[in-house]
Amino acid sequence: MKLLGGYSPQLLFYILNDLMFKKLPNFAVTNQFGLFLLVILFVLFFSFFTDGFSSRFNLFALSRVVAIDIMIGLAMMVVILTGGLNLSLGALGVSAAMFGGWLMEVVGIPIIPAMLLTLAMGGFLGWINGYVTVKTGVHSFIVTLATMSIYFGMMTLFTEAEAFRKLPETFTDFGSLKLFNKYVSPLLLVSIFFVFLLFYLFKFTDLGRKLIAAGANPDAAELSGISVGQMFIYCHILSGLLAAVAALMLTSRIGAAIPSMAGNLGFDWLLPAFLAPVLGGTLLSGGKVTVFGTMLGAVLVTLITNGLYLIEVGEFWIRFFLGIILLLAVLLDKAREFFAQKSNVLS
Amino acid sequence: MNNLCLEIKEASKKFPGVLALDNADFKLKKGSIHALLGENGAGKSTLIKIITGLYKQDTGKLLINNVETSLNSPTEAQNRGISVVHQERNLIRRFSVGENLLLNDLPKNKFGLINYKLVFERSKEWLDLMDLNIDPRTVVSDLTVAKMQLCEIAKALSIKSRILLLDEPTSSLSPQETEHLFKVLQKIVREEDVSIVFVSHKLEEVFELCDQVTVLRDGKNACTSESINKLTRQNLVKLMIGREEQIIKSEKKVVSDQKTVLRLEKINTELGHHDINLTLGKGEIIGLYGLVGSGRTELAKCLLGLEKIVSGQIKINENEVRLDSPKTALDRFKIGYISEDRKKEGLILMHNVLENAGITIWSKIKSFLSFLSDKAIHAKVDPFIRELEVKTPSYSQLISNLSGGNQQKISVAKWLAAGTDILIIDEPTVGIDIKTKSYIHELIIGLAKKGTSIVLISSDMPEMISLADRVIVMKNFKIEGNEPNSHNYADMSSKIMAYIHD
Repeated sequence: MKLLGGYSPQLLFYILNDLMFKKLPNFAVTNQFGLFLLVILFVLFFSFFTDGFSSRFNLFALSRVVAIDIMIGLAMMVVILTGGLNLSLGALGVSAAMFGGWLMEVVGIPIIPAMLLTLAMGGFLGWINGYVTVKTGVHSFIVTLATMSIYFGMMTLFTEAEAFRKLPETFTDFGSLKLFNKYVSPLLLVSIFFVFLLFYLFKFTDLGRKLIAAGANPDAAELSGISVGQMFIYCHILSGLLAAVAALMLTSRIGAAIPSMAGNLGFDWLLPAFLAPVLGGTLLSGGKVTVFGTMLGAVLVTLITNGLYLIEVGEFWIRFFLGIILLLAVLLDKAREFFAQKSNVLS
Repeated sequence: MNNLCLEIKEASKKFPGVLALDNADFKLKKGSIHALLGENGAGKSTLIKIITGLYKQDTGKLLINNVETSLNSPTEAQNRGISVVHQERNLIRRFSVGENLLLNDLPKNKFGLINYKLVFERSKEWLDLMDLNIDPRTVVSDLTVAKMQLCEIAKALSIKSRILLLDEPTSSLSPQETEHLFKVLQKIVREEDVSIVFVSHKLEEVFELCDQVTVLRDGKNACTSESINKLTRQNLVKLMIGREEQIIKSEKKVVSDQKTVLRLEKINTELGHHDINLTLGKGEIIGLYGLVGSGRTELAKCLLGLEKIVSGQIKINENEVRLDSPKTALDRFKIGYISEDRKKEGLILMHNVLENAGITIWSKIKSFLSFLSDKAIHAKVDPFIRELEVKTPSYSQLISNLSGGNQQKISVAKWLAAGTDILIIDEPTVGIDIKTKSYIHELIIGLAKKGTSIVLISSDMPEMISLADRVIVMKNFKIEGNEPNSHNYADMSSKIMAYIHD
């Protein structure tokens, strides 16, 4: 039962395992390992069947995109932890980045303080999401649907839909810098830094444990002396911060802060935002995070998107496939819950 | 040919860690009102769930009108004429009474639209049968609880139910309403060929209404379909609890040197508690006794700051305090609360033993940068988990995989680890096997001896009388009585019941 209670790739893996009629060591059936295996599988597939997948140019481009998708996935993950979601993710991130662009280009303050203020703006917008959600008791779906529109509208109003294209070179150069024999973007290192930071938070700190407990069972957590409302607000602040980081990275990559860089209302971010954590094994009902899983989920999504581009199947097909994958991942999330309940029929 | 409309033969049902039903028998005669009695956790609800198709028995048979049947869902049970009248109302509050009564089969006109004239005409007949003088056009939410309940019974009859299960139907009714309900029940049994299974904790009602009784104890029959005339109240109590008196007893303490740690003065709450005055001494165990819905758990939640206190004072160590959240209660005043609902409010089922046992002490033992390792938590909670003899293969075992008794031990362990001065313990032994139960009783007494002050909320009279130093009786969100415990069961129980039924 425990094996079946696993996650998307794990389930697949279990079935494969079953078909081969032999037992694999325990670590091999963990969720992350299954995802990792899928990543390898797709890398091999695309390397064989496309031109230029493993080229230095493509891998560098891939690393830049992956870096941002990881941040987006993590930003969504920390809100899914509360059993909620953050639809305003894209709008919020872009708003913060436009604020940062304005600070650097128009106000002219140095890069580091400008970036810190951008993060503060992201955190503040996240705080609004969290505060309204907790105080009104309205589901975060509705709250962030509203703030998505509000943030994007305000941002468009202030910027008059104009981009900031004369950002400091030091800032934009970072996005095009190539490391490790020109294979890897430093942006990916930033993301990996945040992955470890969040891993530390959730695994080794008092605060992280409280966030998870609050998400897993708000009533029990509250009665155990945890201020659940506050924890939920922290999650939304964290989501805002991470979204701002993602948007700053995107700004640095494309060399300008553009209002439409995440699509209209930030829609372009939503699909990868949900895909990464759900594939990674984060429970949609809350209370479980998988930081490395989310990272691998983001890698898988970017990989598939990139590979399909290289096969030249066309934009619409890519969206089609990503949609299908999300549906499958959500179905497996349901299966996870079902098995989790099946295995504890104690009442 | 016997005249049984429902029979259960040697049914057993096992859940991980507990045998909820152990070869239980149950025979319902046609046209009888049959009491199903037992302590909490005796297997009543499991039996009811089998009868209504929610559970399937592991072994044993279920016969309807002497034909062996298997019920796979509540709908199937309903189709076979078995309906439950729940404590929670099953009516749609915004619909009219008439619509609700005939909801499953609303009469339609030739265009397929609902024929409201017919709806109200037909439903009126059912209401008349219930001696209910209300307009079927009334919206359900405008009715009193008692009338809603009668409507539910009418609804059950309208779908041709011939076996009705009533689970604690009188817990929120006034004496007059109860009397009306009983008259109606007796009438429908007489006139409509209905049989009733009646579950209640109030023995007076059982003697007034029922003609037969089945008592369950620890999943087994203490008696099966006994005629009520052959039994006395004492017989029945003995059948339910299995013995006259519990073995464990708290010792009488010297009251004079007791320091008051908690004092409630004239507390009124938003939930409706009125003029609550209460003191709790150091190392004292006070018991809050009352029926379901008398406001005991709600009072605890008010103390934790989860519900608003409108007026009055809370004093801890004679200083007036404000309690605005469980966090404040725990961090500043060392008050803990062990919930009656360990699955919903006590534990995080999807997390492991270590996470659950350590949750109350994370803040206390974190170090620089809020760093907190499993090892640090382990070191802190391990003594308590050992002391409680929790049976778990490892501390990384998920709570949901433990038995009920071990789960309860963990939810106690986390408050032991927290080192509270005042511990509110809400129904600590519901649904727990006898062994763990007496273990937890000993533990509570031990805690009090070491100086922890305890508020014990329990509906289990023997438990109350064996543990509490004083018993405080609550009724309708008010304190009705404050009785020092004599530890004499007969004496105490009659005193307590007198407060409830005066």
